[in-house]
Amino acid sequence: MAGFFDRMLTLDRRWIFLFVFLSVAIPIIIPIGLPVTTTGSTRSAFEFIEALQEGDIVWISFDYGPSSAPENDPMAEAIMRQCALKKLRFVVDVLYPLGGLQLANNAIGKIAEEFPKLRYGVDYVNLGYKDGAAAVMRRLGEDIAGAFPTDVNGTPLAQIPMMQGLKSLRQVKLVFTAATGLIGEWWITQVHSQIGIPVIIGPTAVSAPKYYAFLNSGQLVGMLGGMKGAAEYEKLLRGRYPQMAKFYKTTRDFTATKGMDAQTVLHTIILMFILLGNYAYFRQRAKAARA
Amino acid sequence: MAPPHIGIWIAAFLTLACFTFLYKDNPFFRFAESLFAGVSLGYYVGIVLNQTLMPNLFEPMGENFGLNWDLVVPGLLGVLLFMRYVTKFGWVSRYALAIYVTYYIGVEFTRKLHGEVMPQLGRLIRPITSLDPATLVSSVYIAGVLSVLVYFFFSKEQDAVTKRISRLGIYFLMISFGAAFGFTVMGRVALLIGRLNFLILDWIYPTLGI
Repeated sequence: MAGFFDRMLTLDRRWIFLFVFLSVAIPIIIPIGLPVTTTGSTRSAFEFIEALQEGDIVWISFDYGPSSAPENDPMAEAIMRQCALKKLRFVVDVLYPLGGLQLANNAIGKIAEEFPKLRYGVDYVNLGYKDGAAAVMRRLGEDIAGAFPTDVNGTPLAQIPMMQGLKSLRQVKLVFTAATGLIGEWWITQVHSQIGIPVIIGPTAVSAPKYYAFLNSGQLVGMLGGMKGAAEYEKLLRGRYPQMAKFYKTTRDFTATKGMDAQTVLHTIILMFILLGNYAYFRQRAKAARA
Repeated sequence: MAPPHIGIWIAAFLTLACFTFLYKDNPFFRFAESLFAGVSLGYYVGIVLNQTLMPNLFEPMGENFGLNWDLVVPGLLGVLLFMRYVTKFGWVSRYALAIYVTYYIGVEFTRKLHGEVMPQLGRLIRPITSLDPATLVSSVYIAGVLSVLVYFFFSKEQDAVTKRISRLGIYFLMISFGAAFGFTVMGRVALLIGRLNFLILDWIYPTLGI
């Protein structure tokens, strides 16, 4: 046993990489289905959207790129699914320059396939990407067509039935931003503070801690923190709408719920290594002191 | 199941090339790293050119210069920034930089104050009208904010009392750093999950016909 702990202190880190690789790969190949518990911030986001009326408009902003897609994609898709189920209309925009538009197009395409009755221009609109996030937000509060004269296909907003009555962000019932970096924060500090529209944020896990301050101050309606938040939302959605289970049961598509299997296994491995490493270190130190 | 197309194979190769660094530095990793840096830069230049400069500067001035002549000013400011590469006229770029810095201070100042500082101070300062769990939580907020502020107050040497308060501030900071670190680990693991999902579900399974 003593030899084992001595070896832990000189363990080649590549063995740890191998453990990490296996603990992520195996749950993807053989999903375990570990339970996901929901938190208050996710539940309040879900219930807020549930309380909206049919025909209300939700603004969904894709403020992330491929580097955080595994976290943000499931959130954006879950919100759009909920909107489709609740018959809420939604407007999509993209304020993140590096690949955000491609991700938005992919997500919208997926949702349109899942809900064939959704009509473009009537139930949802994709406004595409616009540079200068903070300036765009400011303009949206005054005149949406000023910020986005056309949709992603180049059609003037005046020719899109859903946009004909929608002139300003003030008419929207909710902003949801799936965000990485600062853009998500601007929706709170600029749009919510100046216009008063409720905001739900789906940040990456790295950014999530800072948003708790906004949550506590009442500036956010709810938050989906990283992949865990997305998995919670998927669970709430499946619970309220059993017909959603088919989208989350397949072993071929990626979902946050499946990702949480790998997260849980890997975190257990990491904790085990931290405990073993620390025990071996203190053991060696005590041995040196005795000597 | 259709076999993966060439784009998937290229993405899979580059992903594996990046992973090889975990074993040791090698030419495959260097190639993938350089390619990624180059493509990202090229993509960003394209985005700025097509999404910012063309629709906001060149097209409006080309369509109706008389109406949009004022765009010359921001355009010139942008050009001035590049003067730093000309040794003799490098100082000119400072004027443009000064205007940008001033603009952002103005924008950020109101946004931070109105959108962050005031609402969060409002949440912190609440009248204690009853002794309930919410009051207890508020007391923790107050203790945390004040002790951390004392920790970062460097204008006066700490005495016996402020030393203890700043010690409490350190504990609050450590807890917040711990939470941030935990979330960061989760975020980084999520990225690995995303990549392995791609390799397994989009590349290996279709290649094997599963």
